[in-house]
Amino acid sequence: MPGSVRVLFFATAREAVGTAELSLSVPKSGLSVANLLDEIQLLYPKLAPVLRVSRFVRNGAYLRGRFGMIRPGDEFAIHPPYSGG
Amino acid sequence: MIRVGRAPLSVATAYAELDDARAGGVVLFLGRVRPDVVHGRRVRALDYEAHQPVAEASLQKLAREAQRRFNALRIVLWHRIGPVPVGEPSVIVGVATEHRAPAFAAARFMIDRLKVTLPVWKSVSSPRPRRAVRRR
Repeated sequence: MPGSVRVLFFATAREAVGTAELSLSVPKSGLSVANLLDEIQLLYPKLAPVLRVSRFVRNGAYLRGRFGMIRPGDEFAIHPPYSGG
Repeated sequence: MIRVGRAPLSVATAYAELDDARAGGVVLFLGRVRPDVVHGRRVRALDYEAHQPVAEASLQKLAREAQRRFNALRIVLWHRIGPVPVGEPSVIVGVATEHRAPAFAAARFMIDRLKVTLPVWKSVSSPRPRRAVRRR
């Protein structure tokens, strides 16, 4: 049975998608980060240039590039380049 | 020591938090909102958003690293989120060390590192939809 992943969008990612957060269904066995990003990009083509320069965070921990698995119940965040300070 | 929140940042409170009898050097850096002109309109405030738990962990990590590198006695790393009016600080970086040189170096290190590692984003406050501002 599939489960869901909570995806968080910030700044330019939120502007491209039009929402700060959404829930996506993923197989119980999980999905690679690369595949999850492909799915998100299909849903929101305007996000593509943002994804190219973003960092990704799973359950509060930074991922190395697009490596890793996303499983049901995970929180996955897209961080465009930072502009704090 | 670290803070990511909506309350205005107080220099007096930051200075008090840096108090240490051994400290011969205290450096406080304030990053303030500039009255820039964006899309032909004068900025009155910037809106800051954060991925809060990740930002807090990032500041903790940065404070620990600076403490170790520069032998800091006390550190303040505060970032305000939400709307911040022009002229008010959006960030305070403070450090107390025994001597002045490591205090200046530590403050410089922390603000430079914070700009590239802290998951915080600014946008111009306006009645129109928020637009992200490129890093300066």
